[in-house]
Amino acid sequence: MLDIKNLSVAYGERLVLHRLSLELPAGQILGVIGPNGAGKSTLIRTLSGILEPQSGQVHVMGYNLPELNPTQRARLIAVVPQANQLPPAFTAWETVLMGRTAHLNWLGQTSSHDDEIVRQAMQRTDTLDLADRRVGELSGGEQQRLLLARALAQAAPLLLMDEPTAHLDLQYQYNLLQQIRGLVTRERLAVMIVLHDLNLVSRYTDRVALLVKGELRALGSPKEVLTADLLSQAYHTPLQVLSLEKSGLPYVLRSNSPLMRACIKPSSKSSASIRR
Amino acid sequence: MKNTARPYLFSFLLLVGALLLSVAVGSVSIPPMTLLNLFIGGVTARPLTEDTTTLSTILFNLRLPRTALVAMTGAALAGSGTSYQGLFRNPLADPYLIGVASGAGLGAVLAMSANWPYTTLGLLGIPLAAFIGAILTVGAVYQLARVRRTIPTTNLILAGVAVSSFATAITSFLMINSTGEMRRALVWLLGGSTMTGWQPVIALLPYITLGLGTLVTMGHALNVLQFGDEQAQQLGLPVQRVRVTIILAASLTTAAAVSFSGVIGFIGLIVPHIVRMVWSSDYRHMLPLSMISGAGLLLIADVLARVVMAPQELPVGIITALAGAPFFLWVLRRAKQQHLW
Amino acid sequence: MKRITFYFILLTILSLLMAACSPAAQAATPTPTTSPLTFTDGLKRTVTLNAPAARIISLAPSNTEILFAIGAGEQVVGRDDFSDYPADAKNLPDIGGSNGVYNYEKIASLKPDLVIASELNTPDQVKSLEDLKINVYYLSNPPDLEGMFTNLVIVGELSGHKAQAETLVDSLRQRVKAVQDKVAGITTRPTIFYELDATDPAKPFTAGPTTFIDQLIQLAGGVNIAGSLSSPWPQISLEEILVENPDMILLGDAAYGNSPDQVKQRAGWSDLKAVKDGNIQVFDDNLVSRPGPRLVDGLEILAKLIHPELFK
Repeated sequence: MLDIKNLSVAYGERLVLHRLSLELPAGQILGVIGPNGAGKSTLIRTLSGILEPQSGQVHVMGYNLPELNPTQRARLIAVVPQANQLPPAFTAWETVLMGRTAHLNWLGQTSSHDDEIVRQAMQRTDTLDLADRRVGELSGGEQQRLLLARALAQAAPLLLMDEPTAHLDLQYQYNLLQQIRGLVTRERLAVMIVLHDLNLVSRYTDRVALLVKGELRALGSPKEVLTADLLSQAYHTPLQVLSLEKSGLPYVLRSNSPLMRACIKPSSKSSASIRR
Repeated sequence: MKNTARPYLFSFLLLVGALLLSVAVGSVSIPPMTLLNLFIGGVTARPLTEDTTTLSTILFNLRLPRTALVAMTGAALAGSGTSYQGLFRNPLADPYLIGVASGAGLGAVLAMSANWPYTTLGLLGIPLAAFIGAILTVGAVYQLARVRRTIPTTNLILAGVAVSSFATAITSFLMINSTGEMRRALVWLLGGSTMTGWQPVIALLPYITLGLGTLVTMGHALNVLQFGDEQAQQLGLPVQRVRVTIILAASLTTAAAVSFSGVIGFIGLIVPHIVRMVWSSDYRHMLPLSMISGAGLLLIADVLARVVMAPQELPVGIITALAGAPFFLWVLRRAKQQHLW
Repeated sequence: MKRITFYFILLTILSLLMAACSPAAQAATPTPTTSPLTFTDGLKRTVTLNAPAARIISLAPSNTEILFAIGAGEQVVGRDDFSDYPADAKNLPDIGGSNGVYNYEKIASLKPDLVIASELNTPDQVKSLEDLKINVYYLSNPPDLEGMFTNLVIVGELSGHKAQAETLVDSLRQRVKAVQDKVAGITTRPTIFYELDATDPAKPFTAGPTTFIDQLIQLAGGVNIAGSLSSPWPQISLEEILVENPDMILLGDAAYGNSPDQVKQRAGWSDLKAVKDGNIQVFDDNLVSRPGPRLVDGLEILAKLIHPELFK
């Protein structure tokens, strides 16, 4: 679905992404992690057409991305940006309806088909009851869910998400990620999701890409990438990774945290050395 | 459905009322029945009697063309203002933001110092110069703001302010250096048409139709633009193309309007806010509603300009400023509570 | 971009053509009963009247003064805001003119058969009147006194008072000659500063070369200190006035509240000879700024002020 080869992106003189290569097939959720300034948002913005690659190739479903115009691109890629200010005057319904832009004509005429898609998207994100309210009156979390609904309404096979859980209550964080998991499975979407919470990454992604200073440090399953070595080095802080009993999934915490000294035993499979 | 039709009905009624008022009011009082008779007579080419010749002349050569001109100007300014406010996502944007007014002013004042021959083309000299001045100025602003293939909003505004100041400075210099033309230039800059008759109406018609016609289709695009350039692009809107189209259409319309009517302020700034407050923030509706309301409101301002200090006539720009400023402050107060921007 | 430019130019040409071809009313040329009077006015337009105008509207105070001076006062049915001389003119209907805006409806309703415009009027204003089927004669500003005399005769022909106009011109000429004769024998020419506007006392406005003020001051036996400046209506700096140190200051802006006492109080002006000698005179600017018969009145008063010794 998404095929990136040796992608380099620069801001003027400064190289922000350096020869990045990865593939994302349909039906998979790829988590992108890394410290601030690693290039995660840059990657999202390049894929969505805001930034131009300096070199390298990007293909989505076989289409050469830089050659597409914005409308064509939007039919393939939908973006859930970081929660920022949405225009306060539109209603929630109207906001989600904007997601249909790539499928509408110049005048923006919508049909009942568009309405149905919007309704479904809002239902899935639990925002349908907010439909007639003005966005300016909604909370940060509600706005975030609207952004997801809007991206869903776009009905694109590739979803890029930049910290979509940032303002959400815990229940909504889990809900959202579970929704995405469901969508990916049912509709064979491909999702690239930037997340800060490493344990959410562990639980809800199929593969993980670790970016540090514009380079792809590691790419693999959560177990392979979420190791104490890699993470401690990347984040410049001593981290310990445990293996949860029931799922076997990695669990990341700071070294010497009180939790560690409690009843959970470190697994023999995970890296035993703890960086001081 | 009735809810969406209501604003149109209301604003249309306002326009019709304003049109009738503008035709009915003047220094020479012509009672409504007489007006109606004259109108029917004129349209059916009925021969004129001694009495009705003058009145008919007044109606057909003064009032009707003036009404048409003012209505078109109001629609043009309000439509452009709405477009710019949407494009720049800035409630203070008005049609003159990127230099149309200052460019037109410079062109007009330059032309005023020349002696135009008294021919048809010569009489169009000043509006033509104003028009060219406006277009060249917008072109300069555009080039200055361009960064390769994109034209960032901030650059546009900054370049617009810089070029406008420059043009205004040159205009002021020219005006001071030719005291003879100073009065004439000032009148032009304050707004109000100096040409009577159907000529300006006909000259203006293609530009207004084309410009406003284009702008009215940009409602959806402007809605999407409210999410910011990045998100709009990510949603699939060809942002650069839309921006260029809107700037072109709005500049053309405004330049044409200003060439014949001088610089009339506040209509382009205030009417969009009124429409937004009273009816809708959806640009698909805001655009046509602004145009209709703008026409109506400017007509009313023009009637006031004729009536307030009769028999003297004030430049209509003064009325719009005097009425506009306090109204604007009131709009500001109310809108802050309503999360309108 | 090239395509847009092409269409744009096409559109401009198209709309200009449309505007040019729009139905414009011709100036009224009713069927002549006697041989028509034909004139070419200041805008090189041909103006035709069947008979001398009986209902005249004046768009400038100078035109009003001329009409009354040649005996056509009865035929004037309307005048502009600024026409205030003679007193009878004030009673006539006012048809606008402030802010450069005239009340066309009023003009039309007065049913004039001739409107006399001046250089205060713009070509579009003339066109607007033409569109209302009204005859307009654009009377250009005369460059000198002879030009003013010519204008008097033209207005005389337009209004049917040619003989009276010519008589007036003769008497005006004699008065001018009288002043010239008196002044011929002078030995000194006092230097004059004529003030038009001193809103900024450091840079007052004055009258430069080619203006009537300059010409009349010279005819009256004086020298205008601004006479060799480069533009007709320049601002002159106080420093330059101090350098020239004129013998007399004429306050053409006396009507706006300037007085000799006020001048004495201005910073830096007290060093001027004219101020120390108290030689500051008020002057009615209308006499020298309106290109009509009162220019000669202005000349006579100037001569008396500049060379009082000749008129004892």
